[in-house]
Amino acid sequence: MSTISIPEIHAVKDNGLPPLPATPARWKTYELIAFRIAFIFFIAISIPNNLEWYSHVAHINWLRLHYRDLYDIARFGSGINFFGNTIFGSSLYGYANWIITLLIAIAGGFIWTAIDSRRKSPAQEYNRLYYWLRVVVRYRAGIGIIGFGFTKLLPVQMPFPSLGLLNTNFGDFSAQKIYWLSIGIVPWYQVFAGIVEVTAGTLLFFRKTTTLGAALLVGALGDIVYVNFAYDGGVHVYSSYFVLLGGFLLVKDIPVLYRFWIRETYTTPSCYYPVLSKAWQYARITLKAGVIVLFLGVLYYLQYVNYKFDPYKQPSTAGVKALRGNYRVTEFRINNRVIPYDPTDSVRWQQVTFEKWTTLTYKANRATFIDLSNGGGGPMRDINRTFELTGTGGGQRVFHYYADTIDHVLYLQDKYKAIPDRRNRVAGDSDGDRQSPYARRQKPDDTIDGSWISAAAWAHIGNENHMIDKTVWTARRDREFAAAPKNEKRNRMVLQYETTDGAHIILKGTDEHKDSLYIVLDRINRPYQVKPSTLDAGKY
Amino acid sequence: MTTGTYSNAYTPPVTRWKEHEKIIFRVIFIYFLVQVIPLDWKFYRQLFAISWLHLQYADIFNIAHYTPALLSGTTSYADWAIFLGVALAGAFIWTIVEKNKQHPANYDALYYWLRALLRYRLAIALLAYGFIKFFPLQSPYPSLSNLNTPYGDFTEWKLFSLTLGIVPGYESFLGLVEIIAALLLLYRKTTTLGAFIVLAFTGNVFMSNLAYGGGENVYSLFLVLIALFLFVHDVPQLTRLLAQGRPAAPVRYRYSFTHAWQRNARLAAKGLVILLFIVVYGVQTYAAAHRAPYQYPADAGLAGAQGLYNVREFRINNQVLPYSDIDPVRWQDVVLEKWNTLSIRSNRPVIIDSTNTDRIPANNSLRTFELHGAAARHYYSYVADTAKHLLVLQNRNPHYKGEQLLLHYERPDSATIILTGVNENKAAVYVVLERVNKKYLLEEVARKGRRRAIKR
Repeated sequence: MSTISIPEIHAVKDNGLPPLPATPARWKTYELIAFRIAFIFFIAISIPNNLEWYSHVAHINWLRLHYRDLYDIARFGSGINFFGNTIFGSSLYGYANWIITLLIAIAGGFIWTAIDSRRKSPAQEYNRLYYWLRVVVRYRAGIGIIGFGFTKLLPVQMPFPSLGLLNTNFGDFSAQKIYWLSIGIVPWYQVFAGIVEVTAGTLLFFRKTTTLGAALLVGALGDIVYVNFAYDGGVHVYSSYFVLLGGFLLVKDIPVLYRFWIRETYTTPSCYYPVLSKAWQYARITLKAGVIVLFLGVLYYLQYVNYKFDPYKQPSTAGVKALRGNYRVTEFRINNRVIPYDPTDSVRWQQVTFEKWTTLTYKANRATFIDLSNGGGGPMRDINRTFELTGTGGGQRVFHYYADTIDHVLYLQDKYKAIPDRRNRVAGDSDGDRQSPYARRQKPDDTIDGSWISAAAWAHIGNENHMIDKTVWTARRDREFAAAPKNEKRNRMVLQYETTDGAHIILKGTDEHKDSLYIVLDRINRPYQVKPSTLDAGKY
Repeated sequence: MTTGTYSNAYTPPVTRWKEHEKIIFRVIFIYFLVQVIPLDWKFYRQLFAISWLHLQYADIFNIAHYTPALLSGTTSYADWAIFLGVALAGAFIWTIVEKNKQHPANYDALYYWLRALLRYRLAIALLAYGFIKFFPLQSPYPSLSNLNTPYGDFTEWKLFSLTLGIVPGYESFLGLVEIIAALLLLYRKTTTLGAFIVLAFTGNVFMSNLAYGGGENVYSLFLVLIALFLFVHDVPQLTRLLAQGRPAAPVRYRYSFTHAWQRNARLAAKGLVILLFIVVYGVQTYAAAHRAPYQYPADAGLAGAQGLYNVREFRINNQVLPYSDIDPVRWQDVVLEKWNTLSIRSNRPVIIDSTNTDRIPANNSLRTFELHGAAARHYYSYVADTAKHLLVLQNRNPHYKGEQLLLHYERPDSATIILTGVNENKAAVYVVLERVNKKYLLEEVARKGRRRAIKR
């Protein structure tokens, strides 16, 4: 046996950068054409394509940021959409935009080829373009996945199930809901998934770790694509987007790995790094540092305070302290008529819960329309945070309440509404915008009748905008509370409550049909097998 | 003994084993060997109990799942500590012995054989799990009783399995990933890629076991360790190639077999693994998925009785108990499965069967997946005497061993069952069950999609 050393073709330069290949790789004709198409395609799908995004970025209040401000920068719709997002009227599960963009890129690629054939083009130019295209894709993918990852790293994307959800039978959820809940019950696992995503994104910011980051991205997001198809999660296009970007970044390494692993021979990777002037070098470093500070530093902080005080999928206002827990309906009277407990009765309430936030739920054996959206987006008002009811059947009814704790009155509104709000507007997609045909028949009702709560009661209730910790009073929150709510046609109840310590409660008042209710509730100790985690979002 | 030589496709750097590398290698070598080569008499008891003419996929799974356990029935981290102790002691003795010997061991050859052994060990483990997911057996679609159990009454681990069970297509996909990783491991040149996939996939399985309270966290970490060992070999070169953009050559060992019988033995061994763990196991798991999935009992239940029933009337010792959500005695609802299980929901607490490991049970009484990690209902298997209209109910939960109900049944119409007899406390019961035409949101949405209005 003898020792043979690997010949070093190029010694490492003093600046620490890896060596430049002696001669730039020669591009074959088909490679050039494929590259031109890929260039147009990937630039097009890395740039925001809807005006709302630009308007959003222009209107960000950088001094009073909300995590969603940065999240929305990172999550945008892209691709060429001047010609709409359908092919022959079909959105092809949402992928039509990719195909349209590709067709245009192919056309553009051939035009480019035609023009380029008239002049001599050194390979150096394409090496440089390829390098910068990879930079754009790396940063697009990195920022996007970090925006996504932080909502898991500080576990708010899949909330821990509320009492009402824990009490609902397994078969009474949609598949989408079951998947979301299955992550929600293990916040530490959600943190792990978030770390994987944020790590993948961070690795993409550095060219030396790009391959590892892209491999992680393709692996993790490839699984999420399949999950979204399997559970009808609705985010399949956006997750596929990352697989596509990550796959593109890996393309360069495939011939290298093939040579190394399969041919088992001495392998020289092709690598090209442009030489930048001093000024450009400063610009590059400033931009890179800016992205890292904003999307790893500032976003982490914003996401942390969101987790701590304002978890975006669950109401953030604390519920009345005495009214918390699982309650048995000991007595139920409607219009002074007693209805004894009967699980098959369509009117009588069963299984009442007061959540730790401003929500009351009960179950009745009566069919209702079901909100099948994801319960996501970034609504500020508690009533619009619907994770606790979306994808949930079994006669579960969910009401938001404003509490007048001086006169002991709850002003309850059904959290289900027929015409859902638009969510993820900046992304330009419609995840969660699912309108029922029933809803379409209804006319939007923009006039909200505020008079159901008297001025005196409002004075007792206070200002919802400021009921959460001051740390998270953001410009975005102010803006949304200043705007009039839309399509507010909801079932409403006004109930007086009497209780000393919350163990025994008497509710008296009227329901949405103006029927008078008299309900006696007794708190029960209901043990669960699903154990709460040490990570508990929100402050209640 | 033949010596290890390099493939002649290129001239690689020759590795000289440094003294500290040898010592580390000896520890790793013994550590893995102790865990991979069955030294446990229980393994051979199991092996000899197998009827090889009627080989069942359950037998193959259980062979593949072998890990030595000294302290209890399943391997624990304490066992690992003992193995590490053995490895350290062994490496110490080895070091001393070798100092006094003229001819030191051929470390290249030992390294080659250890890698080969671990590649196969890991591949077999992945195939065993891969096929029972690819043909969705491991996590079956939830039973009717499970569909009618509140979410919070399941353990996290059970919810993990039920969540996978509602999407057989996704379960197959996960199985396919495991099978592909295993095939990559069986092929020497793609070992690193296979090991990388295992690191990501089984690494995630390990994290899930920790997070959801699964019982296979030790085993999955064992597999991850093997994958790590196999992967690490290429890391220096991959770093040069992919991170630093510098050239690199792979370090490969290939064993040159000098005798024909050696080449034949190698082929035979490889062929046997493929035959047993891919062909036989694949065919059998396929057949099982279509005929008799192993998680649920195979015996048929009362004909035409499958469904959810409201307990319209309930009398105990001739005294009527009205509907109640707090009474531990009165039944709230009853489910009859397609197979011979009847489950009762009442407010009587359940000490849950917290099984969370993966074994494939041979007989029906051990197929208790339906009650693992599930409270709220009591699960009974029954034997029906259809001539005398008698049901003998036996509680399936090991915590309620011997609990029996004897009930006479009447079916005045297709939707009603009247049960009379004695309950677990020998009290006389009279129960009227009325079938509920229950529609599950889970299935409605699966059928209609989330874009349509659904009222439930």
